[in-house]
Amino acid sequence: MHKGYVLTKKELKRESILKTALKLFSAHGFHKTTIPDIANALNMSVGNLYNYFKSKDILAKEIIKYTSEVLGQEIQKVNLQNISSKEKIKKIVELYFKMAKEKPEMIEYFLRVYLSHREVFNDGCEGMLCVSGFVTEIMIFFDNGVESGELRNQDFFSAFGLFMGYLGGMVFLKGENILPKKLDEYIDDISENIYNALKA
Amino acid sequence: MARKPKLLWIQSLTCNGNSHSFFNHSNLFSILSHFELIYFPLIETKYSLEDVLRKKVHSDILIIEGAIKEDLTKGGVNIKELIHHYAKESRYIITAGTCATFGGIFKQSEPEKISGFAFDKENEKEDILSLYEHRLISLPGCPIHPKWLSYVLLMIINRRRIPLDEKNRPQELYGFTVHTGCVRNEYFEWKIDTHGFGHKEGCSFYENGCQGPFTHGSCNKILWNDTSSKTVVGTPCFGCTEPDFPKERLFSTKTNMGIPQKMPLGIPKRAYLTVTGIAKSFKIKRLEKKVIDYEK
Amino acid sequence: MIVKKLIEKIEGEAELEFDFQDGVIRNVDIKFNLYRGIEEILKNKAPRDALVITPRVCGICNHAHLIASVGALEDGINRSVKKFEITEKARDIREFTLACELIQNHIKWLYLTIFPNLNRVLNIQESKNYALKAMYVSNTVTKALAIFAGQWPHSSYAVPGGVTCDPTFVEVMQAKSYIEDVIRFFENVVLGIKLEEFLAIKSVTNLDKLKGDFARILFMLGKNGFGKIGQSYDRFIVFGNSKFSMPGKATATTVSGADIKFVQEFEQEGSFAKAVKYKDKFFEAGPLARGIVAKEPVIKSMHKKYKDSTLTRVFARIYESAKLLYVANEILKNLRIMQDSCTLDSKIRLEEFEGIGVAEAARGSLIHKTEIENGKIKDYQIITPTQWNLANGAAAAKAMIGLRSENIASFVFKTFDVCSVCTTH
Repeated sequence: MHKGYVLTKKELKRESILKTALKLFSAHGFHKTTIPDIANALNMSVGNLYNYFKSKDILAKEIIKYTSEVLGQEIQKVNLQNISSKEKIKKIVELYFKMAKEKPEMIEYFLRVYLSHREVFNDGCEGMLCVSGFVTEIMIFFDNGVESGELRNQDFFSAFGLFMGYLGGMVFLKGENILPKKLDEYIDDISENIYNALKA
Repeated sequence: MARKPKLLWIQSLTCNGNSHSFFNHSNLFSILSHFELIYFPLIETKYSLEDVLRKKVHSDILIIEGAIKEDLTKGGVNIKELIHHYAKESRYIITAGTCATFGGIFKQSEPEKISGFAFDKENEKEDILSLYEHRLISLPGCPIHPKWLSYVLLMIINRRRIPLDEKNRPQELYGFTVHTGCVRNEYFEWKIDTHGFGHKEGCSFYENGCQGPFTHGSCNKILWNDTSSKTVVGTPCFGCTEPDFPKERLFSTKTNMGIPQKMPLGIPKRAYLTVTGIAKSFKIKRLEKKVIDYEK
Repeated sequence: MIVKKLIEKIEGEAELEFDFQDGVIRNVDIKFNLYRGIEEILKNKAPRDALVITPRVCGICNHAHLIASVGALEDGINRSVKKFEITEKARDIREFTLACELIQNHIKWLYLTIFPNLNRVLNIQESKNYALKAMYVSNTVTKALAIFAGQWPHSSYAVPGGVTCDPTFVEVMQAKSYIEDVIRFFENVVLGIKLEEFLAIKSVTNLDKLKGDFARILFMLGKNGFGKIGQSYDRFIVFGNSKFSMPGKATATTVSGADIKFVQEFEQEGSFAKAVKYKDKFFEAGPLARGIVAKEPVIKSMHKKYKDSTLTRVFARIYESAKLLYVANEILKNLRIMQDSCTLDSKIRLEEFEGIGVAEAARGSLIHKTEIENGKIKDYQIITPTQWNLANGAAAAKAMIGLRSENIASFVFKTFDVCSVCTTH
């Protein structure tokens, strides 16, 4: 988290629960993973874990917020750079694929848990509520691009779907072991394609 | 009893809208009773326009209506020069309306020749400001709000300090935005659009071009004609108090990929989008439907 | 001999040049010089922006400009984009707010122009504050207007397809109470009799029932010969179709149809105002024209006795104020608020069309013509009522010719309710 102070012991513990649960949910699926499984992996008691998160559903929602924030912060770093939209696109593609490689559980969680178990998220994660950290930064990216004249002004969702649907699709293909090449080898082409589709 | 201050109203390039707006004030004659009315374009005054043009009168409080045009004359007298003649002796100079303050609509016909009295759009006219800065009060609005002008006049009479902003506008009137007090605020909070025109429900900021959240003025604090305002009746605010009035495409919100280009005054876009994303995620049933069920 | 006179407080100023020969006015040159280039400003703007820009032609009849402007857009949309109709509700609200503006205007004219100027011409000393009466009516009736239109001056609440407001019954009652206040003022101060009693008068011979300020002004005008002064072409024209006007033209009292295609605008030397003719002839526009064309019995009776004199002209304007109040009140009584306020999608694209809009403004027919190309205004033309009446050689000039005093002539001029800013948009 981007707070300007050292996390307290409790906050550190909370974050480690989120990270561990994220890995387990992504690896074994939402329904197959139980609270005792998570507590076990963390060497903590089930009762103590419930002190942090009152239910598995709540934990699931906090995880999506957490991953969205982490991804949002990375994109924010790109947004704050004084570079063209074209360069930003490439950096966003890079960081997305980097995350897919280094923390595959984050992307996996989004695709396999968040998008596949809407019943869990309907109450409390309506619309884009739990992914706003990430979506906001994409909006800022689009807005800056149109403002500078580099990107074409169009409907938000037609642009958003093109950008994020494309990246999510590639990571999905990678996860299914369908891609013949490494993800990194696609970065240049994909960035170029996205830029061509969005440019003014 | 002390002598009543002399009030002189001079028109330059104008549609007369500020005169008519002020004349519509329900307390007009109580307000005017504090002054010696030298000239006002709508009512009988002791002096004629001829007297004003021939510099036969004096002014303590000069009200300027209309944009300044270099070569505008009336009855053979250059109006810009005439305004300066009276400005020099006045204790207060009030630019009444957006034309007199910033140049307004008519500036667009000859941008090089037409401007406000002390500002040319948002730019300061330094030669003018160096002379009059401490006596100048800007009251933009197209037209001027009658009550805003009257309260400023009464503050002068009652020797109240009038805190001004960087464009010499009274902070008590222009420190707020037109959004303040708008009856549609609940719809703004929850990001619910009004979906076209002609509805009691919904906010005009998202699609219809309402500039209320970034326009300086008290239109929804001190109502128009004591009853209403543009945004109350579903008309977007056109930003008529602003230096860049009128902008283009006034009935549609300018967006970048669906994101409003201009933010509510002082709100960073990131903050706005974060809050918007959250608010939009909820479907508030009460606000999605008609307020009144006339079938019942 | 040429006598120049600067006429002030006529929504700006005008310079009159009287050409006297043998003590009689043979010609009057009317000059307006406050050109603001509104038609030029409109070029290349989005079509709907005209709804914001054109009201700024005039501080006193801004609302009529809005109504004419939206009419031009709707005419073009109907002819070239999409067939549609506005609801009765939207039409009624527009007519109501326009009627309010006309009342505001007529009463200001009566108390700010006619009374003080007639007193001056006749050397009558009075210390009455007529302006207070004008302010009261103007303030009250524009409150009623603003309940629907948001504000006055300079509302832009009429949009293609209807109006932006969606009033409740509570608001309609609020407006009604203001209109009833104005009616009460009218009955007590202007007419001296009940509004309906006045509107039932069909003949000049029954005007002796009148008391109040109206009776006083008619008496002063009659006594001082204004029943013979100020006669003009006796040709009248009206284009607006509403609950308070019907379109047509009249020569004396013979009424026939009028078609906008025969309206011609042309430049005049030495003035920023353009003149307007119908089939090469000058016509008079305004309340008298509306009364004659609609064959209002009392106007016909007045005209029969006093022709198109200053007396008839003044009478027609005050009569119309009373009628407008009645119409305004009736509209509120019957307003169908459950209907849609606006029937046209606000996102409908306005790419290419030509449209003509008309509104009956206080001073007569106001015409807006808009030409849209590539989604922008290519050309915009505004023909104001004052251009009908006040061009050189037009109705007002004709009415002054033959008079012996420039002061009387200036008064006759002002009875046309001159609007300098409209003339020189």
